[in-house]
Amino acid sequence: MAIEKKPEDEFDTVFSQNDSLELSSHHDYVTAQTRIFKIIVIGDSNVGKTCLTYRFCGGTFLKNPEATIGVDFRERTLELDGESIKLQIWDTAGQERFRKSMVEHYYRSVHAVIFVYDVTSLSSFESIPEWIEECRRHCVGPLVPRIMVGNKCDLRDRREVPTTAAQCLADSYNFPLFETSAKEPAEKEHVDAIFLTLAYRLKSHKPLRLKQPSESNIRQLWNQREQEAATCQC
Amino acid sequence: MKRLKRKKQNAGVGVNGNGSVTREPDCGRKQKLAEIHQALISDPVDIETLRRAAASKGGLLTDELRRKVWPKLLNINVYDLPYKPGRDVREKHKDYNQVVLDVRRSMKRFPKGMPAAERAVLQEQMTDIILEVLKRTPQLHYYQGYHDVAVTLLLVVGERMALAMLDTLSNHHLRDFMDPTMDSTKHILNYLMPILEQVDEELHDFMIRAEVGTIFALSWLITWYGHVLSDFKHTMRLYDFFLASHPLMPIYLAATIVLHREKEVKKTECDMAMVHHLLSRIPQDLPYELLIGQAQDLFDQYPPSLLAKQAALQSRKSLSISTFQAFQFATLHQRPDSVLQRLTKAQGSTTSRQASQHSGLEAALPRDRGQMWGKGNRMVKMAVWGLSATLGAAVFAVAQTAMDWGPEVLLQLF
Ligand SMILES: Nc1nc2c(ncn2[C@@H]2O[C@H](COP(=O)(O)OP(=O)(O)OP(=O)(O)O)[C@@H](O)[C@H]2O)c(=O)[nH]1
Ligand SMILES: [Mg+2]
Repeated sequence: MAIEKKPEDEFDTVFSQNDSLELSSHHDYVTAQTRIFKIIVIGDSNVGKTCLTYRFCGGTFLKNPEATIGVDFRERTLELDGESIKLQIWDTAGQERFRKSMVEHYYRSVHAVIFVYDVTSLSSFESIPEWIEECRRHCVGPLVPRIMVGNKCDLRDRREVPTTAAQCLADSYNFPLFETSAKEPAEKEHVDAIFLTLAYRLKSHKPLRLKQPSESNIRQLWNQREQEAATCQC
Repeated sequence: MKRLKRKKQNAGVGVNGNGSVTREPDCGRKQKLAEIHQALISDPVDIETLRRAAASKGGLLTDELRRKVWPKLLNINVYDLPYKPGRDVREKHKDYNQVVLDVRRSMKRFPKGMPAAERAVLQEQMTDIILEVLKRTPQLHYYQGYHDVAVTLLLVVGERMALAMLDTLSNHHLRDFMDPTMDSTKHILNYLMPILEQVDEELHDFMIRAEVGTIFALSWLITWYGHVLSDFKHTMRLYDFFLASHPLMPIYLAATIVLHREKEVKKTECDMAMVHHLLSRIPQDLPYELLIGQAQDLFDQYPPSLLAKQAALQSRKSLSISTFQAFQFATLHQRPDSVLQRLTKAQGSTTSRQASQHSGLEAALPRDRGQMWGKGNRMVKMAVWGLSATLGAAVFAVAQTAMDWGPEVLLQLF
């Protein structure tokens, strides 16, 4: 195989060599039983979608992210309760023109959606309902779990979106809310926890989904899981 | 690559004119340099030779030649460049915020050792020229990736010539990408699979089964690979090629890259994510000269008109494609720089735009720049790209202006 970009130049590196993740990661030799979940990450440009997904998949803060054109792909394999789970993450471009005709392909058959806003940008937060609507228009079913993530909470004195307002919006959609930072090293575990929560949720409810349970049933389980999972640590 | 036979005759006005060089004996760099110089001083400029040189092995060879030939390929008079955009260009433009966000995140596009102050000056210029083009033609809409084109031009030819080139490209080669939506861009991407189908049906079918789509090639197409290549010399080499070619050529190159990786692709799990992942990460050691030759061959063998007969490609009209022939035609009647210089000078002295004793080129400069030039002679001597590493930002801005003029102007002045 041809030599790829060097890691430091690599914009969409999936795993860095010095991956310091606590969870065991099976990169190349994924066993046959590995279950795969597709997650799409959406939100306005510059909210930090690329940095967040890179933090989770690569373990570090990406110093010089570039604008995402179309979609980038990253993945990480986790060991959860002895089961191997692969999360395939689609990091999308924030600019509006890309959502319309380009990104739709990637909404197909997603297992979860992450809506990201920037806590220092009110307008990025105000766009969230639009993104949610967009997602619905692309026929992402109501049972597909969705979470809301407020990024850049390390920038405390530039905050424009109060947690209460975000919680209020999240509650109105019945989504779990997380505030975090892709940059802050202390938040590294928290970023992991967000994706892990989603992974647990997908892992434990996959069979239920196949049996088409009632929605309220799912909601209940979801909320339960959410309480067990990490909450905002900012 | 299979089934790639050359067609001997190229038809049409220059459209396929760049197809015939790759198999010619490699007559060496020196001779190529001489040919390019000869083509530049011919009257009219020998655009066919320039186009061939840009596409054939090694491309345009040096940055200095690029500064002379690139404008010719786009029919730009270097003695009549647009003014440097003023501050007002940034006011109230709907795309301003997005442009700034993307320019700020473009650090990787600049040479590694460049001092931060210089980069900052260039980033400001990048923002200015992007917004100036958008402001001039309100039908043009900014897309993420456009900044990668702007920075490539800026690094090679300087602010004012980059502005002129970006303006022309935006109205021709890049025009489809600049619609209010990306539907036309998607249409252009749709040419990729039919090309693959012609050459390697098995690979084509594999990709169809994987439902990989063509978005993996989106950034290749709309940035002319500037976004995905980490070595700037490769980017410049491809720009030589694309500036001399049909607007669809980046798609043909995409096809050759996929075909080049055929074995890897077929070995991958037949799954959208896996195949997308593999293809979107472009290997940095691609044999570019070989692929460029193959892309030309594919273009000659399966021209866009032939592919367009496919159902999926019929529905839509591409502005880039439909205006291309006229554009190519217009490039045939260019005068060499020496004549342009005289003409522009004569024109300058008869109009109210002040002519200077140096050259007609001065007429194309905004007043304050001209003054700076007067004061800055000594500094401008150092203005050749690459020597500027130790200069401060202000000096660097002057150097940039001098670079806009092209090296032969500098030589004439000293
Ligand atoms: N302070 C701080 N800055 C961050 C954080 N996450 C991202 N950034 C910065 O925010 C900017 C945007 O980050 P990206 O990850 O490129 O944003 P994006 O959402 O992927 O943007 P698009 O690709 O344009 O849609 C970059 O300059 C990052 O350095 C964070 O947690 N804290
Ligand atoms: Mg991004």
